[in-house]
This record gives sequence, C-alpha cells and structure tokens, in this order.
Amino acid sequence: MIDIIIAIIQPILVLAVAPLFLGIVRKSKAHFQNRDGASVLQPYWALATLLKKDMTIPEWSSWVYHAVPIVVFACAFILALVTPAVGAGYTPDAASNVFFITGLLALGAAFLVMGGMDTGSTFGNMGSSREMTLAAIIEPTLFVSFTTLATLTSSWSLNGIVGSMVFGSWMTALPAAFALLALVYAALLENARYPVDNPATHLELTMVHEAMVLEYSGPYLALLEYASMLKLAVISILIMNIGLPFFMVMPGAPFENFFVACLFFAVKFIVAAFSIAVIETVVVKMRFYRMQEYALYAFLIAVAGFICFIALFR
Amino acid sequence: MDLHIAYSVSAAFALFVGAGMSALFLPKQNTLAQALLIAGGVCGLGAAAAFAFLNPQGGSLALFGGHFALSLPASFFFGLVSLGTLLSSLFAIGYLPRYALSLSFREVNLAFAFFVIGMCAVVLADSPAAFLFFWEVMSVAAYFLVIADKSEDSLKAGFIYFVMTQMGFFCLLAGFLLLSQGELFVPWEVLRGTAPLLGAKTLMCAFFLLFAGFGSKAGLVPLHQWLPYAHPQAPSHASALLSGSMLVVALYGFLNASLLFPSIPLSWALVVILVGLLSALFGALHAAVESDAKRLLAYSSIEHMGLLFAATGVLFGLMNSGGHVIIEVLKAGLFVFIIFHTANHFFFKTGLFLSIGAIMSETHTRDLDEMGGLARAWPIFSGVVLVLSLSAAALPPFGTFFSEWLLVQSLAHAAAVFSPLFAIIGAVMLAVVGLVAGLALFASVKMFATLFLGRPRTAHAEKVKPLPLTLTIAPALCAVCSAVSGFAVMPFIAPRLGAAMSSPLTDTSFLNATINVWYVLCFFMFAGGAAYLIQLFTVKKVRTTGTWDCGAPLTPRMQYSATGFAAPIRFFFRMLLVTKKDLVSVPASASNPWITAKRLDWSVNSIWERWFYARIGAGVLAAAHFIRRLQSGVVQAYLLLVLVTLVVTLILAL
Repeated sequence: MIDIIIAIIQPILVLAVAPLFLGIVRKSKAHFQNRDGASVLQPYWALATLLKKDMTIPEWSSWVYHAVPIVVFACAFILALVTPAVGAGYTPDAASNVFFITGLLALGAAFLVMGGMDTGSTFGNMGSSREMTLAAIIEPTLFVSFTTLATLTSSWSLNGIVGSMVFGSWMTALPAAFALLALVYAALLENARYPVDNPATHLELTMVHEAMVLEYSGPYLALLEYASMLKLAVISILIMNIGLPFFMVMPGAPFENFFVACLFFAVKFIVAAFSIAVIETVVVKMRFYRMQEYALYAFLIAVAGFICFIALFR
Repeated sequence: MDLHIAYSVSAAFALFVGAGMSALFLPKQNTLAQALLIAGGVCGLGAAAAFAFLNPQGGSLALFGGHFALSLPASFFFGLVSLGTLLSSLFAIGYLPRYALSLSFREVNLAFAFFVIGMCAVVLADSPAAFLFFWEVMSVAAYFLVIADKSEDSLKAGFIYFVMTQMGFFCLLAGFLLLSQGELFVPWEVLRGTAPLLGAKTLMCAFFLLFAGFGSKAGLVPLHQWLPYAHPQAPSHASALLSGSMLVVALYGFLNASLLFPSIPLSWALVVILVGLLSALFGALHAAVESDAKRLLAYSSIEHMGLLFAATGVLFGLMNSGGHVIIEVLKAGLFVFIIFHTANHFFFKTGLFLSIGAIMSETHTRDLDEMGGLARAWPIFSGVVLVLSLSAAALPPFGTFFSEWLLVQSLAHAAAVFSPLFAIIGAVMLAVVGLVAGLALFASVKMFATLFLGRPRTAHAEKVKPLPLTLTIAPALCAVCSAVSGFAVMPFIAPRLGAAMSSPLTDTSFLNATINVWYVLCFFMFAGGAAYLIQLFTVKKVRTTGTWDCGAPLTPRMQYSATGFAAPIRFFFRMLLVTKKDLVSVPASASNPWITAKRLDWSVNSIWERWFYARIGAGVLAAAHFIRRLQSGVVQAYLLLVLVTLVVTLILAL
C-alpha cells in the first residue's frame, strides 16, 4: 500500500517541482551576474499567464503544427513518469529501458523540429536544422554511456541502474564517473543549455530551441515550455541520482524513509540547479559549427568510461 | 493440406504469368494485368501464411516435381515478395495511367510480371541451377523496369545497373560452381552434405564470391554503386518492389548460401560485420544529405541492408562459440532481429516509395528543394507518410523501433559479457549503430518536413490536386502494417527470447533487459491524452496571423530547403562526404567584364566513387591507352599476335 502511494506521489512531485528547477537555475545565474533576478516561482506565473492567453497560428501551418505540442509534452511527461526521483523501483523495468529513453528523447526532438519547419519562416527552419543535427550526433554518446552504466549495474532500466547504484561498490565509481560526465554533456545538449545553446536570447546567432518555438503562443507555448522544464529537471535529477545514489526510498521501505528521501531529493534538486547555473556562468557558448567537436568530446569520454570498465572488471 | 498449398503456389505463378501475357497481348489494359498480379500476390501470401502456420517447427514441401521447395524461411520471404507485389500492383492501378504518355503499359507490366516471377522462384529454388536461372530472370527484368521511361538518366542508370548485376551474377555462378564442384542441379540438402569435403581455401573463395554477389545485389559498399542510380529511375511502384523486396531476396540468398558452409570462421564473420557497418554508415550519411526524395530512400535501403548484414556477421561470429546460455540467447535475439527488421524495413520502404510515387505524379518532381506545404493539401495522406517516416526513423512506438531495439540490445549485451577484445568490438558497433540511428532520424525528419510542412517552395508543390483514393490506399496499408508490427508482433516473438508468455502484458525479456510494448503504448495514450485535455480546456480563441517576418515580407524561397537543412551534417562530416563547391562566373556582357552571370556548382559525391570507382576507371583507361599501341594497322604485327596467342594457348593447354 505504501509502495503504491509513493509510486503515485513521486511523478506528481516531479511534475509539480519542475518549473521550480528552472526558477532556481535562473535565480542563481542572476546572482552570479550581480543581478537580483526574478523570483524562483516566476516560471509558474509564466506558465499560468500563457495558459490564460489567446493563441495565434501562422497562416502557413498545417495540422502537424497542432500535433507538435501534444507529442512533445507527452514525451517529456513519460520521461517524468518513469524516471526515479525520490525512490527507485516504483515503475516496472520494462517501462524505462535505457534505449527506450533514448528513443523517447529522439521522438520529442523530431516533433519539435517539425513544429519549427511548419511555420514557413527561416528562423524556425534554422532552429530545426540545428536541433536535428544535434540530436543525431549525440546518439552514440548516449548509447555507449548508458551501456557502461547498465553493465556496471547489470540492469538495463533507469530504475535498475539507480537502484543498483545504491548498493554499488567503490570500484564502479571511476567508469560511472566517466559515463556520467558524458551524460552531463548530452544533457546540456538535449536541454539546449550552454555551451550548446543560449536559453536566454532569441538572437539568431545562438538559438536552437527558442528559434523552433518562436511562432508558438498561448497554451501551445505553455505546453512546450513546460515540456522543456520537465526534461531539464528530470534529466538533471537522474544524473544526480546516478552520481549520488544516497537516501533513495525503495519498495518495501517504511513511510518514514520516504520523508528522508524527499528531504535529500530537495537537496539534490537544489544542488543540480545550482550546478547548471555554475556551468552556465563559467562556460562560454560554443559556435554552432564547432558542435561536432563537442559531440566528439562527449563520445570520447563515454568510450573512456567503457574502457575503464573493461580494464577494471575483466 | 500440403496439396492445397502447392496448388496455391502454382496458382500464384500461373496468375503472374497470366499478368505478363495479358500485358503482352492486351497492351491497353493496365487494370487487368494489375488485378492478375494482385490475385497472384494473394495466392502467394495465403500459401506462405498457411505453410508457416501449419509447420511452425520447419519442414519442407517439394513443389513442381523437385528443384523448388517451400521451407519455413522460404515461406517468410515468399510471403513478403507476394505482399510487395500485392501492394505495388494495387498502387499501380491508379498510378500507371497517370504516365500513359511516357510509359508503355506493355513493357512495364511484362517486365514487372517477370520480375515478380523471378523473385518468387528464387526464394523457392531448391538447387543452385534453379536459383541462378531465376536470379537472372529477376535481374534482367529489373533492368527493363529501370529503363522504363527511356530517358537519358534512366539509360545511364540502367547501364550501371546491368554491368554491376552481371558482375554479381558471375560471382554467384563462380561461387556456386566452386561449392558444388560443378554439380549445379543437386538440391541444397545434398550440397550441405558435400561441402565439408572441400578444402579450406576453396570454401573461402566460394564464401567471398557469394558474399560479393549477394552483397552487390543488396547494395553493400563498395558494390553499391548502381543502387542509388537505378532504384530511383524505375517507376515508383517498381522502385518499391526493387527496394522493399529485391534487396530482401538478396539477403535471403546470402543467408541460404551461408547455411551450406560447414562452419564460418571468425575472420570471415568480421569481414561481413565490417562491410555491413560501413554500408550502414555510408547509406545513413548520404541519406541525411541527399535532396532527391527517391535517392534518399535508396540510400536508406543501403543503410538498413548494412545493419542486417552486420547482424548476420555477428550471428556467424557467435556460431563459433556455442554452448553458453547467454550466447544462445544472443543468437536468438539477432535471428529475431534479422527476420523482424526485414519485415519492418519492407513495410516502411514499400510505403515510402509508393508515397513518393503518388507525390511525384502530382508535383512532377522528386527534388525535395521544390516541395513543401503538401500537408495542407493532403492532410490524411500526410498522416500516412508521417507514420511511415517515423517508422523509418526507428522511433517508438513503431515496429522498426522494437526491431532496432533488439539489435542495439544484442550489441550492448555482447559488449557487456564478452572478453575485452570482443567487448570493445561490440561497443564500437554499438556506437556506429547509434550514429546510424541518429542520421536515419535526421534523414526521415528532413524528408517529411520538406515535403509536407511550411509553404510550397515552388509552383510544382503549390498547384496540386487532391490525391485519388487509389494512390492513398496502398501506402496507408503499409503505414498500418508498420504501426501494428510494433505492438502486435513483439508479444509473438517474445517467447523466442525466453520470456514466459501468459498474457499479452508480459514483458519482452532479453537476458536482463526488458521492454514492454504495451506499457509504451499505454504511456503514449495516457500522456498524449493528458496533453490533449490540457489544450482542450485552455485553448480559447485562436487567430490566424502571418508568420513573424521582421518587417519584410517572407517569400517561400526564404525557407530552408532540404539542401540547406542538411548543411550542418555536410559540414560536420565533410571528411567522409566528397563535397565540391565552385562559384562559376560567366561574362554576360562583352563590353563590361564586371557584368557576369554567377552560378554555384556544388555536389556531394560518394567517397567510393572518388577513391574507388574513379581510380579503377582511370586505370582501365590508362591500360586501354597503353594497349592501343598494338593497334598499329600493320598486318604483320597482327599475325605475330595470332601466333603468340596460339603458342601461349598450346603451352597452357598441354
């Protein structure tokens, strides 16, 4: 019974706090730039405002334009449902296979790209072309680093990986660290953060994600923005949970553990958001036509992790 | 029951022959020929399904008094070819009359009927002689399909195809002659018994000759050269069969031939893997940068054949080290991948070629750079193509995703359990497959987006009439098959992987990795439903406005073209893509040299064309130049040559 309650509360919690994550990132970034910044609750107000607004649709768009927010949001939503945040093992392994997760990320990216292409404007098209390229070249990194983590923990689902990390030995730390670093690279790319994309501007030199959603407005934009907040929060929490798999609640545990886990979830949540702000402050944006280098670094780190694993465990 | 199946197969052949005859003697009748082909396809599909249903454990049924037999693998491929014929002919009923002026029904339908007969007979052949004969029927009939419209491009493509396919045929002939020691008329079963008696070197020669022969048909590098030229030139319903079915027949031929060898050493397997992976990467990269819709699909076929052959290579490698339970499961996984992916590739590739055919018949171009905005004109048809494109991109929840999941998961397992060397090979393969998957996603999305989304880029795409139902129905059937194969087939193949099957909600377990199609589907329903509800309750007033244009009016040409869309990929992979870019300026006025007409000449060439074929061509020309010196016109020199030839022949012969 307790397990079922936790299994239901966990995704609701993640859905509820995702905008807060972005709020914390923005607030800390503003702090580093000697600004006050908006309240950490600002993303909630932004979403609420967008939901209340009327909508404009570009005259050249087709039915695909209307399908995009639904599919993109659905992908992020599924990601939020299956990712272990507070506790590991509450969703079936068969629902969070690592290669299913990569497929899900690709599906979301593909639809977002179609949204950008269905406007008849160069801006949306440019963002689409870039986003599709990035999604294509990061795939090998995701495959190899997930494989390293999965072989370390002999489990191929996100729940299993996080769950086994809880009992992992220190031997696994080195390969896992490499794999995680590669995943951090991939996460920054997938979520359109520095050094890949500048989330704060609509400047055509830098933009990828913002260019694609430029024509969206009102509730559609709210869905897309909420989807990107969810994706950012969930992927960051996932990386934190693999890296610091402490104080997670497991099926069969008493209810008190859940509160402890929630407390530590809050800590990890804030640390993750703060780290992204730090990364965005100390790292400069890379030119888009150097992204093959970025993807190559990520891939080499992932391969280094795998070779470490082979060297240590065979 | 066996008798009924045999009758049904005979009926299929009789109907195909009847279609050919009707095309020959009633050249104005297209519908009759297509109806006979459809009926033949239905008979073939029925026979294959009945055989597979009644003999799930294998067994074989001799047909036409020997030389042909229906076995379990043959029935699968026979069924696919029949289904392909059915779908293509269904499409051709509405499609061919649109080209009544440029194509001759008689030629196209006759060649098509013989092409189908050839393919069906190849998969049913029970001896090398029958196999090779019908292989040649298939190849030659395909030639006439490639040159069907008699244009300059088609004749050139047909020439390349014909040369390559004959080279491939002679490789096969040599390979089978070596393997059977000249006895081409004995059944496969007997060959399997005599092959182990041959020397290791003979076996190796035979294997690589057969690999080259089948590989050239399947479009593996470096013998793929003809494929991107020939497949797009055929009428689209024939392209669908060329890409969807003929390549599959080549794969069947290779699998069937490989079973004749007593064992396949690891080194041979590694060659197969390497060639397969190179093909997959090459195909995916070129598909990503290609702007011609049908060539894009042809490159995508090279990619998928590469993946299938690479998986076959891994399967060969695992055959050497049997016994361990993990290896047995991996073998099962790869085997299921090969079968399942073949079917999925067949569905989406057939569907996409037919769709492009339908689009071309309205827009009269296959250049993606001139398309756009078709989703507004054809909302339902665009939905069909969207499903097929997502399936080609191997995205969940479509069948291709689950078949590629099997491949990726097999390679990941291999990386996880094997000795260091093989683990690293597994990881490298996994990374290559990852890149291939990413590029395939890029190519599919690019194709769909530039065809259907945004504004029409030229008048070609602007003035389209509604598509008739006859052109929509066959692609729609393919789309349904792609979607259904995801969640309907996986539970059936799960038992092969060792999971207990008590209810449809059982996980598909593959060693310790599990995936469940039904969860995936339920999630999509749930999440999509939630998103739909949110927008249902929040969207109040919608205004249609112009796209934000920065104050200057937008023109359709300002949109990204397919060429522009792929620019980052061209730049990132410029080492592997031989791109050429020249700004050519031609003086336009005699008096003022500053007035010039400028034009950008650019092309993406295949690295193989540049470094392999061009070199061979240059070598042949140089040799010809050298040999030409003999042609001096002096009679004495020719007489001397005759004498030398005679002496050399006698020395060699005696």
